[in-house]
Amino acid sequence: MANENVSVWTSIPFWRRSAAWVTGFAVILLIWLTFDTLGQITMGTDADLKNGVTKRVPGPTVINYHIDYKMSQKRGHEVPVIGEKQPFFGKEWSEQEAADLLHLGKLTSQAKNCMNCHTLLGNGAYFAPDLTKAWLDPAWQNGGPLQGMTGKNTVEEAMAEFLQHPSQYPTHARMMPDLGITADEAKGLVAFLKHMSSIDTNGFPRNFSKTVDQFKAGGTNAH
Amino acid sequence: MIEPLTDVVPSFFAVLNQGPLTLTIFLHTVIILPMFWIYKQEKAKLNK
Repeated sequence: MANENVSVWTSIPFWRRSAAWVTGFAVILLIWLTFDTLGQITMGTDADLKNGVTKRVPGPTVINYHIDYKMSQKRGHEVPVIGEKQPFFGKEWSEQEAADLLHLGKLTSQAKNCMNCHTLLGNGAYFAPDLTKAWLDPAWQNGGPLQGMTGKNTVEEAMAEFLQHPSQYPTHARMMPDLGITADEAKGLVAFLKHMSSIDTNGFPRNFSKTVDQFKAGGTNAH
Repeated sequence: MIEPLTDVVPSFFAVLNQGPLTLTIFLHTVIILPMFWIYKQEKAKLNK
Protein backbone atom coordinates (compact mmCIF):
# COMPACT_ATOMS: atom_id res chain seq x y z
CA MET A 1 0.00 0.00 0.00
CA ALA A 2 1.72 3.14 -1.20
CA ASN A 3 -0.67 5.91 -0.23
CA GLU A 4 -3.76 5.45 2.01
CA ASN A 5 -4.88 9.06 1.52
CA VAL A 6 -5.51 8.85 -2.21
CA SER A 7 -9.01 10.11 -3.17
CA VAL A 8 -11.33 7.94 -5.28
CA TRP A 9 -13.73 10.88 -5.78
CA THR A 10 -11.35 12.54 -8.19
CA SER A 11 -10.71 9.31 -10.07
CA ILE A 12 -12.10 9.39 -13.62
CA PRO A 13 -12.38 5.56 -13.95
CA PHE A 14 -14.56 5.43 -10.78
CA TRP A 15 -17.10 7.90 -12.22
CA ARG A 16 -16.95 6.27 -15.63
CA ARG A 17 -17.66 2.80 -14.23
CA SER A 18 -20.42 4.13 -11.93
CA ALA A 19 -22.11 5.93 -14.82
CA ALA A 20 -21.86 2.82 -17.00
CA TRP A 21 -23.39 0.67 -14.26
CA VAL A 22 -26.32 3.03 -13.54
CA THR A 23 -27.05 3.61 -17.26
CA GLY A 24 -26.76 -0.10 -18.08
CA PHE A 25 -29.02 -1.11 -15.21
CA ALA A 26 -31.62 1.52 -16.16
CA VAL A 27 -31.62 0.29 -19.78
CA ILE A 28 -32.24 -3.30 -18.69
CA LEU A 29 -34.93 -2.18 -16.23
CA LEU A 30 -36.77 -0.13 -18.87
CA ILE A 31 -36.72 -3.00 -21.38
CA TRP A 32 -38.04 -5.33 -18.68
CA LEU A 33 -40.78 -2.84 -17.72
CA THR A 34 -41.82 -2.53 -21.37
CA PHE A 35 -42.50 -6.26 -21.60
CA ASP A 36 -44.13 -6.27 -18.16
CA THR A 37 -46.49 -3.50 -19.34
CA LEU A 38 -47.40 -5.44 -22.50
CA GLY A 39 -48.75 -8.21 -20.27
CA GLN A 40 -50.77 -5.70 -18.27
CA ILE A 41 -52.43 -3.98 -21.24
CA THR A 42 -52.98 -6.92 -23.60
CA MET A 43 -56.67 -7.33 -24.39
CA GLY A 44 -58.33 -10.44 -22.99
CA THR A 45 -60.32 -12.95 -25.03
CA ASP A 46 -63.86 -14.28 -25.12
CA ALA A 47 -62.60 -17.41 -23.31
CA ASP A 48 -61.22 -15.22 -20.48
CA LEU A 49 -64.67 -13.69 -20.03
CA LYS A 50 -66.40 -17.08 -20.05
CA ASN A 51 -63.91 -18.54 -17.57
CA GLY A 52 -63.98 -15.51 -15.29
CA VAL A 53 -60.32 -14.61 -15.87
CA THR A 54 -59.82 -10.98 -14.81
CA LYS A 55 -57.97 -8.83 -17.31
CA ARG A 56 -57.29 -5.11 -17.14
CA VAL A 57 -58.62 -4.79 -20.69
CA PRO A 58 -61.35 -7.38 -21.33
CA GLY A 59 -62.09 -8.77 -24.79
CA PRO A 60 -64.61 -7.08 -27.14
CA THR A 61 -67.39 -9.53 -26.17
CA VAL A 62 -67.56 -7.78 -22.81
CA ILE A 63 -70.33 -5.73 -24.46
CA ASN A 64 -72.57 -8.81 -23.95
CA TYR A 65 -72.26 -8.51 -20.17
CA HIS A 66 -73.65 -6.23 -17.50
CA ILE A 67 -70.89 -3.98 -16.20
CA ASP A 68 -70.97 -2.60 -12.70
CA TYR A 69 -68.58 -0.30 -10.86
CA LYS A 70 -67.98 -1.26 -7.26
CA MET A 71 -65.79 -0.03 -4.43
CA SER A 72 -62.99 -2.47 -3.67
CA GLN A 73 -61.89 -2.09 -0.06
CA LYS A 74 -58.77 -4.10 -0.82
CA ARG A 75 -57.62 -1.79 -3.60
CA GLY A 76 -59.04 1.42 -2.15
CA HIS A 77 -60.98 2.51 -5.23
CA GLU A 78 -63.82 1.43 -7.53
CA VAL A 79 -63.25 -1.39 -10.01
CA PRO A 80 -65.37 -2.54 -12.95
CA VAL A 81 -67.23 -5.74 -12.15
CA ILE A 82 -68.33 -7.84 -15.13
CA GLY A 83 -71.63 -9.49 -14.24
CA GLU A 84 -74.35 -11.53 -15.89
CA LYS A 85 -75.08 -11.65 -19.62
CA GLN A 86 -77.06 -8.64 -20.86
CA PRO A 87 -78.30 -8.10 -24.43
CA PHE A 88 -76.59 -5.21 -26.24
CA PHE A 89 -78.95 -3.56 -28.76
CA GLY A 90 -81.27 -6.52 -28.18
CA LYS A 91 -78.86 -9.34 -29.09
CA GLU A 92 -75.77 -11.26 -28.12
CA TRP A 93 -72.77 -10.32 -30.27
CA SER A 94 -70.38 -13.00 -31.53
CA GLU A 95 -66.63 -12.60 -31.05
CA GLN A 96 -66.18 -11.36 -34.63
CA GLU A 97 -69.24 -9.07 -34.59
CA ALA A 98 -68.20 -7.53 -31.28
CA ALA A 99 -64.63 -6.95 -32.49
CA ASP A 100 -65.90 -5.34 -35.72
CA LEU A 101 -68.35 -3.11 -33.86
CA LEU A 102 -65.68 -2.01 -31.42
CA HIS A 103 -63.31 -1.29 -34.30
CA LEU A 104 -65.97 0.83 -36.03
CA GLY A 105 -66.52 2.68 -32.75
CA LYS A 106 -62.81 3.35 -32.30
CA LEU A 107 -62.44 4.62 -35.88
CA THR A 108 -65.53 6.83 -35.46
CA SER A 109 -64.20 8.26 -32.20
CA GLN A 110 -61.01 9.16 -34.05
CA ALA A 111 -62.76 10.45 -37.18
CA LYS A 112 -65.13 12.65 -35.15
CA ASN A 113 -62.25 13.72 -32.90
CA CYS A 114 -64.07 13.06 -29.59
CA MET A 115 -60.85 13.90 -27.75
CA ASN A 116 -61.03 17.46 -29.02
CA CYS A 117 -63.54 18.06 -26.18
CA HIS A 118 -63.81 14.83 -24.15
CA THR A 119 -61.29 12.80 -22.17
CA LEU A 120 -60.83 9.10 -22.95
CA LEU A 121 -58.67 7.10 -20.53
CA GLY A 122 -56.86 10.25 -19.45
CA ASN A 123 -56.22 11.49 -23.00
CA GLY A 124 -58.00 14.47 -24.47
CA ALA A 125 -59.68 17.61 -23.22
CA TYR A 126 -61.84 18.57 -20.26
CA PHE A 127 -64.13 20.88 -22.21
CA ALA A 128 -66.85 18.20 -22.21
CA PRO A 129 -67.52 15.34 -19.75
CA ASP A 130 -64.93 12.61 -19.18
CA LEU A 131 -66.07 9.59 -21.22
CA THR A 132 -63.84 6.94 -19.59
CA LYS A 133 -66.70 5.64 -17.43
CA ALA A 134 -69.59 7.34 -19.29
CA TRP A 135 -71.37 3.99 -19.77
CA LEU A 136 -71.66 3.67 -15.98
CA ASP A 137 -72.93 7.22 -15.45
CA PRO A 138 -76.12 6.98 -13.35
CA ALA A 139 -77.69 9.68 -15.52
CA TRP A 140 -77.75 7.22 -18.46
CA GLN A 141 -79.29 4.38 -16.40
CA ASN A 142 -83.00 3.63 -16.05
CA GLY A 143 -84.61 6.58 -14.30
CA GLY A 144 -81.66 8.85 -15.00
CA PRO A 145 -82.24 12.25 -16.64
CA LEU A 146 -80.11 11.60 -19.74
CA GLN A 147 -81.85 8.32 -20.58
CA GLY A 148 -85.20 9.96 -19.80
CA MET A 149 -84.71 12.86 -22.23
CA THR A 150 -84.19 10.50 -25.19
CA GLY A 151 -87.35 8.48 -24.49
CA LYS A 152 -85.46 5.18 -24.83
CA ASN A 153 -85.51 2.21 -22.45
CA THR A 154 -81.90 1.03 -22.46
CA VAL A 155 -78.57 2.73 -21.91
CA GLU A 156 -77.27 1.77 -25.36
CA GLU A 157 -80.35 2.98 -27.24
CA ALA A 158 -80.44 6.23 -25.28
CA MET A 159 -76.74 6.91 -25.93
CA ALA A 160 -77.05 6.01 -29.63
CA GLU A 161 -80.06 8.31 -30.02
CA PHE A 162 -78.22 11.16 -28.31
CA LEU A 163 -75.08 10.66 -30.42
CA GLN A 164 -77.08 10.93 -33.65
CA HIS A 165 -78.88 14.12 -32.58
CA PRO A 166 -76.72 15.67 -29.84
CA SER A 167 -77.72 19.26 -30.53
CA GLN A 168 -81.40 18.46 -29.85
CA TYR A 169 -80.82 17.49 -26.23
CA PRO A 170 -79.91 19.85 -23.41
CA THR A 171 -77.17 17.95 -21.58
CA HIS A 172 -74.38 20.19 -20.53
CA ALA A 173 -73.72 23.90 -20.23
CA ARG A 174 -71.60 23.47 -23.37
CA MET A 175 -73.91 21.44 -25.61
CA MET A 176 -72.50 18.86 -27.99
CA PRO A 177 -72.66 19.85 -31.69
CA ASP A 178 -74.22 17.61 -34.35
CA LEU A 179 -71.32 15.66 -35.87
CA GLY A 180 -73.32 13.76 -38.50
CA ILE A 181 -72.89 10.42 -36.72
CA THR A 182 -74.85 7.67 -38.51
CA ALA A 183 -76.93 4.97 -36.75
CA ASP A 184 -74.22 2.31 -37.29
CA GLU A 185 -71.46 4.64 -36.13
CA ALA A 186 -73.49 5.50 -33.03
CA LYS A 187 -73.83 1.79 -32.23
CA GLY A 188 -70.09 1.38 -32.62
CA LEU A 189 -69.40 4.38 -30.39
CA VAL A 190 -71.68 3.04 -27.66
CA ALA A 191 -69.91 -0.36 -27.85
CA PHE A 192 -66.59 1.52 -27.65
CA LEU A 193 -67.80 3.39 -24.54
CA LYS A 194 -69.18 0.23 -22.90
CA HIS A 195 -65.90 -1.61 -23.50
CA MET A 196 -63.90 1.35 -22.17
CA SER A 197 -65.94 1.41 -18.97
CA SER A 198 -64.97 -2.23 -18.35
CA ILE A 199 -61.25 -1.40 -18.41
CA ASP A 200 -59.61 -1.45 -15.00
CA THR A 201 -58.10 2.04 -14.74
CA ASN A 202 -57.05 1.86 -11.06
CA GLY A 203 -60.05 3.99 -10.10
CA PHE A 204 -59.56 6.75 -12.71
CA PRO A 205 -61.36 9.11 -12.96
CA ARG A 206 -61.71 9.75 -9.23
CA ASN A 207 -64.92 10.78 -7.46
CA PHE A 208 -67.30 8.90 -9.71
CA SER A 209 -70.86 8.83 -8.29
CA LYS A 210 -71.37 5.99 -5.86
CA THR A 211 -75.15 5.61 -6.38
CA VAL A 212 -78.04 7.01 -8.40
CA ASP A 213 -79.36 8.62 -5.19
CA GLN A 214 -76.07 10.36 -4.64
CA PHE A 215 -76.13 11.60 -8.20
CA LYS A 216 -79.67 12.92 -7.82
CA ALA A 217 -78.68 14.67 -4.62
CA GLY A 218 -75.99 16.47 -6.60
CA GLY A 219 -73.21 14.22 -5.43
CA THR A 220 -69.80 14.01 -7.02
CA ASN A 221 -69.75 12.68 -10.53
CA ALA A 222 -66.87 12.23 -12.92
CA HIS A 223 -67.72 15.29 -14.97
CA MET B 1 -44.11 -3.44 4.03
CA ILE B 2 -44.89 -6.47 1.83
CA GLU B 3 -48.65 -6.94 1.62
CA PRO B 4 -50.86 -9.41 -0.28
CA LEU B 5 -50.86 -8.70 -4.01
CA THR B 6 -53.65 -6.32 -5.06
CA ASP B 7 -52.73 -5.86 -8.72
CA VAL B 8 -55.01 -7.26 -11.42
CA VAL B 9 -52.25 -8.96 -13.40
CA PRO B 10 -49.58 -10.41 -11.10
CA SER B 11 -46.02 -9.41 -11.88
CA PHE B 12 -42.66 -8.95 -10.18
CA PHE B 13 -43.09 -5.16 -10.19
CA ALA B 14 -46.59 -5.44 -8.74
CA VAL B 15 -45.10 -7.24 -5.72
CA LEU B 16 -42.29 -4.68 -5.42
CA ASN B 17 -44.57 -1.68 -5.81
CA GLN B 18 -46.87 -2.37 -2.87
CA GLY B 19 -46.11 0.87 -1.09
CA PRO B 20 -44.49 4.19 -1.87
CA LEU B 21 -41.11 3.07 -0.52
CA THR B 22 -40.68 -0.58 -1.47
CA LEU B 23 -39.75 -0.01 -5.11
CA THR B 24 -37.56 2.99 -4.23
CA ILE B 25 -35.63 1.07 -1.59
CA PHE B 26 -35.16 -1.90 -3.91
CA LEU B 27 -33.90 0.20 -6.81
CA HIS B 28 -31.56 2.21 -4.60
CA THR B 29 -30.21 -1.00 -3.12
CA VAL B 30 -29.43 -2.65 -6.44
CA ILE B 31 -27.99 0.54 -7.93
CA ILE B 32 -26.01 1.88 -4.95
CA LEU B 33 -24.56 -1.36 -3.53
CA PRO B 34 -22.52 -2.24 -6.66
CA MET B 35 -21.16 1.32 -6.56
CA PHE B 36 -19.56 0.56 -3.17
CA TRP B 37 -17.89 -2.39 -4.82
CA ILE B 38 -16.68 -0.19 -7.72
CA TYR B 39 -15.43 2.36 -5.14
CA LYS B 40 -13.42 -0.27 -3.26
CA GLN B 41 -11.90 -1.67 -6.45
CA GLU B 42 -10.85 1.78 -7.63
CA LYS B 43 -9.43 2.61 -4.19
CA ALA B 44 -7.34 -0.56 -4.23
CA LYS B 45 -6.14 0.22 -7.77
CA LEU B 46 -5.11 3.77 -6.80
CA ASN B 47 -3.30 2.53 -3.70
CA LYS B 48 -1.18 0.29 -5.85
